[in-house]
Amino acid sequence: MSAAPPRLALQGIAHSFGGLHVLRNVGIEVPAGGLVGLIGPNGSGKTTCFNIVSGFLRPRAGRVLLDGSEISACSVQQRSRAGLVRTFQAPKVFERMTVLENLMVGEHKSTRTGVIEAMFGTRRARAELAACRERAERCAERFGLQALLATPAGLLPAGQRRVVELARACIGEPRVLLLDEPSSGLNSEEIEVLRRWIAELNRGGLTVFLVSHDMGLMTVCDTVHVLYFGEVIAAGSLEHVQADARVREAYLGV
Amino acid sequence: MPPLHRSFGLVAMLVLLALWALLPLALPRHFLDMTNFAAILGVGGLGVALLLGQCGIVNIGQAAFYGCGAYASAYCTTTLGWPAAAGIGLGALISAVLAAAIGYPILRLGGFFLALATLAVGSIAGVLFFEWDWLTGGTLGIGGIPKLSLLGWSLNTPERYHYFVWVVLALALWLAHNLVNGRPGLAMRAMRDAAPAAEVMAIDMHRLKTAMFVICAVLGSLAGSLFAHYVSFVSVQSFTVERSMLFLLVPVIAGAHSVGGVVLGALFVALVPEWLSALGDFHQVVFGLVLVLVVTLFPAGLMGLAGGLLERVGRGRSTR
Repeated sequence: MSAAPPRLALQGIAHSFGGLHVLRNVGIEVPAGGLVGLIGPNGSGKTTCFNIVSGFLRPRAGRVLLDGSEISACSVQQRSRAGLVRTFQAPKVFERMTVLENLMVGEHKSTRTGVIEAMFGTRRARAELAACRERAERCAERFGLQALLATPAGLLPAGQRRVVELARACIGEPRVLLLDEPSSGLNSEEIEVLRRWIAELNRGGLTVFLVSHDMGLMTVCDTVHVLYFGEVIAAGSLEHVQADARVREAYLGV
Repeated sequence: MPPLHRSFGLVAMLVLLALWALLPLALPRHFLDMTNFAAILGVGGLGVALLLGQCGIVNIGQAAFYGCGAYASAYCTTTLGWPAAAGIGLGALISAVLAAAIGYPILRLGGFFLALATLAVGSIAGVLFFEWDWLTGGTLGIGGIPKLSLLGWSLNTPERYHYFVWVVLALALWLAHNLVNGRPGLAMRAMRDAAPAAEVMAIDMHRLKTAMFVICAVLGSLAGSLFAHYVSFVSVQSFTVERSMLFLLVPVIAGAHSVGGVVLGALFVALVPEWLSALGDFHQVVFGLVLVLVVTLFPAGLMGLAGGLLERVGRGRSTR
């Protein structure tokens, strides 16, 4: 019997902007239920890699596979429907919408009401919206956002915006959650809260692929890949990569 | 919604309903003409408001679809002898198909480029209305368009049309309200606020924008048909870029995010220039100044101003 394919796999990914090669033969595997980190100094190609996984960029070479099926040619929406959901380095909440509405948008792909149905306010459309609201309220409770439901998301501080973005990504029960620099703009306390959230979501069975330059946040990961000038120079447990000579040279210059 | 807003809204609604019912008894005909025109402007402006307020799309080409509706109604009823409903339906159908065909490619653009593309659509339509005089009558226009009638009741006076056209606007507002507060409305606002995040939430933005452009066009066409049957005469002068600007002013003045505000915006755009016309040649200049003042002082529009005042009253009460 052959082993199950990894939940998410990057195979031989390469990308360049003009003559600048930003990714070279990058291969990363994220097992189902795993929590894998990608770390690297600024400009190492982490965000490009993430944009390729989430579909915002098409790679020059290589493949992206979700549960063994190639998704390299899929759009962002198709990947999202397949269960691949990401967050952004600068949290992209829907600023003029309330926290509740933000969470309700997170359920877009699991609802079906079309434009005409919504216009006439059919019974099905109303029932679906009510169910969507109820689920959003439950999700808000789970993430400790119940007191902020009616607050426009644009008025929230950075830490809470990050939680709203995380809750919005999780409400649709994704197969893989991609977190892009989730600790950026947060203070040490907020980072600790975030670390606990990520660990808890992963314990609940969610597969997480995390990009960060923050070594402290990486302690939450099972496996860490280190990207340096577009190449994976080390992979393994955090202790293992911290002890790697090339990583020490890349990070500390020693 | 806070209780104060709710009770104020209910009282305001009842007062407005009473005013609407009594208006034809109290006002002279030429004033009713203007309020009827405001309702027509409201129907067309509602489409532009949905695009601007919910999707962040500036449409400066609504006169194209307004013209389609007006000419479809005029041609079908005068030349072909069809019933009015058929002309209205055909105008809406043509506008929907055109909007889908034009919108699909141009809605890949964004910001100023998209606004310019819609302006081009309006301008091209204006030229075609002028050149295709076999269909539109050119500058001579098409006259003798029959008045609408409802269950044998001819809407041949401003008073009768008042009761009809405002109900049509109210229905359009109700549909728009449902749309904005439903699943597509959430998706539209998400798209407007943070497009990449909306994409990650699996919102098909291009399809949604195209659907909204089609709805906007159908509303523009309906407004054109209502106009044609009201004045019984249409000519190219009514479908210029200037008319597109009037449609755009409706949400800009009212506050683009408010569906109900369309009524306020349409009344402003229809009535204020008329009142200012007493100033003679300068009235256009003064209207321009008034517009600049409104958009500068109240960036959230007249509805934003009203909302702010209500909030202040509410805060005053709660601190007492």
